[in-house]
Amino acid sequence: MDINFSDADNQFRQEVKDYLENKYPKHVKEKQNNGEQLTKQDMIDYHKSLYEQGWAGYNWPVEYGGTGWSPTQIYIFQEELGYANTPTILPFGLNMVGPVIYTFGNEEQKKKFLPDILEFNTWWCQGYSEPGSGSDLASLKTKAVRDGDHYIVNGSKTWTTLAQNADWIFCLVRTETTQKKQEGISFLLIDMKTEGIEVKPIITIDGDHEVNSVFFTDVKVPAENLIGEEGKGWTYAKFLLAHERFGIAGVPNQKYSLKLLKERTKDFADDDLKKKIADYEIELSALEFTELRTLAALANGGHPGAESSIIKIKGTELQQRLTEMYVEAAGQYILPYEGPEGFNSNNTPASNVSDFSSQAVSRYLNFRKTSIYGGSNEIQKNIIAKAILGV
Amino acid sequence: MNLSYSDEQNMLREQVLKFCESDYTFDVREKIVESNYGHNPETWKQFADLGWLAVPFSEENGGFNFGPIELAVIFEEFGKALVAEPYLANVVMSGSVLESSSNELAKQTISKIIDGTTQVSVAFSEANNGYNFHDIETSVEDGKLNGVKTVVLNASFANLFLVYARNGDKPVIYLVDANAAGVSVNSFSTVDGQNCGDVTFENVEVSESLIISNDSDASQAINAMLDLANLCICAEAVGGMTASYLKTVQYTKEREQFGQPISNFQVLQHKMVDMFMEAEVSKSLLFKAMLQLDGKDDEASKTISGLKAQIGKSSRLVGQAAVQLHGGMGVSDEMSIGHYLKRFTVIDALFGNRNYHLNNFSNL
Repeated sequence: MDINFSDADNQFRQEVKDYLENKYPKHVKEKQNNGEQLTKQDMIDYHKSLYEQGWAGYNWPVEYGGTGWSPTQIYIFQEELGYANTPTILPFGLNMVGPVIYTFGNEEQKKKFLPDILEFNTWWCQGYSEPGSGSDLASLKTKAVRDGDHYIVNGSKTWTTLAQNADWIFCLVRTETTQKKQEGISFLLIDMKTEGIEVKPIITIDGDHEVNSVFFTDVKVPAENLIGEEGKGWTYAKFLLAHERFGIAGVPNQKYSLKLLKERTKDFADDDLKKKIADYEIELSALEFTELRTLAALANGGHPGAESSIIKIKGTELQQRLTEMYVEAAGQYILPYEGPEGFNSNNTPASNVSDFSSQAVSRYLNFRKTSIYGGSNEIQKNIIAKAILGV
Repeated sequence: MNLSYSDEQNMLREQVLKFCESDYTFDVREKIVESNYGHNPETWKQFADLGWLAVPFSEENGGFNFGPIELAVIFEEFGKALVAEPYLANVVMSGSVLESSSNELAKQTISKIIDGTTQVSVAFSEANNGYNFHDIETSVEDGKLNGVKTVVLNASFANLFLVYARNGDKPVIYLVDANAAGVSVNSFSTVDGQNCGDVTFENVEVSESLIISNDSDASQAINAMLDLANLCICAEAVGGMTASYLKTVQYTKEREQFGQPISNFQVLQHKMVDMFMEAEVSKSLLFKAMLQLDGKDDEASKTISGLKAQIGKSSRLVGQAAVQLHGGMGVSDEMSIGHYLKRFTVIDALFGNRNYHLNNFSNL
């Protein structure tokens, strides 16, 4: 056992720092550090800069254009990005459908989809949840009926993050009504430009438009867009969820936010808040080492299994606690509401101190989602109970 | 960075685990606790024969030159089996202080700890200083030691005391024979079946040759001892938490109510998942702390404070939930489960509790 980084690791860290200094797009950096909303183009610019660096597939195997990095390198990469307050890398292509395609897809599909995912030429979204199927995901009803070379898809998906920007959606669809509901599910890739798809915004309690409803009416999908075998979609879905949970805790970003919170509250005469911050910082460091332990297990040939559920639960609880502390620290100055379009006035309130006050409450409200998405934390506990504790 | 135990470390764990399973069952442990304050000379002899009493000492002092990682391995296994032998007081605490000394007497004392013939306790805490361990009244004047040390671990069996005292303005650690004129011990059994005592020193003659550590070396020796001791009892708590959740899962699978095993009930399942998660994240932080201490990282003390605070919270949750899910059996002294809760409570109280370390962490 050894906690130290090798010379090669330190050199690698310097490379990441060099990227952040020289190639991380300046306009994105500025907006991020001012707490401004990023546009679709900003996100594309950011991802493309990672691609040009050869780092888009930071956790992909080399044979599919990934970096083939060691767990330590991935850790260093994410840590430096977090310290630099970069935007979250969008997971839908790179961490979700990408690994599903290179693991379960055929050669044609790999050739067709993987390069565009890496290069961020396609923006993906995730068609899992439905109005009647949340935690009980396997009860989903969106139907895909085979008709010659095509599937005809009817139904609706919901809570679809950034579907308004997406070029493609990966969907769990029901291809058969079976005794065991998991068995009739298939994994289908659908072009968002196909006729019969309608995207409607859902505004969340922070006032933002992040998620959507997606409706499918007689949508014609080429059968070649089916991943793996018909009826095996649930297996691929579970594989994806385990990958999704990985890195969901956002430890490096939390470290950055913690640093800001500590700086801004250092003169507060509030011992209770100081203790809360200390408690949070300790737990964050425990979570960080839990992630490292999981990475180490992966490097030794393991798979991200139910253990990733701990990271999801603890990580999201900590994210939420952090947003609560920001709200507490800002006190009464959270009141003037700054929505996605700014303040409802030409002026900025005198009390506004960047994201410390006005945005604190938006983030607090927005982050309620974290313990709900990716399989609610209660569902994660069911998974751990069954898979690890055996009850 | 490498987070895998070495083969040697895995073998050590295996050895301790096997010993605990065959020679240190809960029944055996209970007999030792009831008859002799948690200490069984035969068990101690086995520890010596297995080489465990030599673990942290340097090779020149006759030890294996192992560090915090190996100690944490041993304590994690001890924690699972609720081992009550005075390993912490002798090998870890006294060992740490003696190992840092250049006095030949320290070297001789180490060899007697290693062969199991002598027991040594560090007498540092006092009645009025709480967790401010450097704020001491025990003092030496004209070659005479006077003062009262409290909660001295394993005071009943100690042949020697390492006494933290003041000589004028300067801190000093003396090695004092428990049988020396003017030394008296008033010992108590502890809440978790071990023993501690108040040790009174009344005009005890101490020559300069008994000085183990002097001035800033002495206060640093105490700080280093506290860090290592805290790390070890945190590892012990991690082992105890692991055993607690595993035993609870087992019990709820066997216990039937409403015509089915109570492990079927989701409210109990989620409670057990909480226990599991607390044990795991605590273990993760233990990794960080032991690796930093092993690597002599400047942040190690701060991380250990954080770990101690985390363990205080996590072990309370796990210990209480384990008792709760065992129902009435959980509060029966004949079951092992409540003994974990007792040990967790003692561990939190030792060397700065959660509140103390949370403040400490915040201020470091």
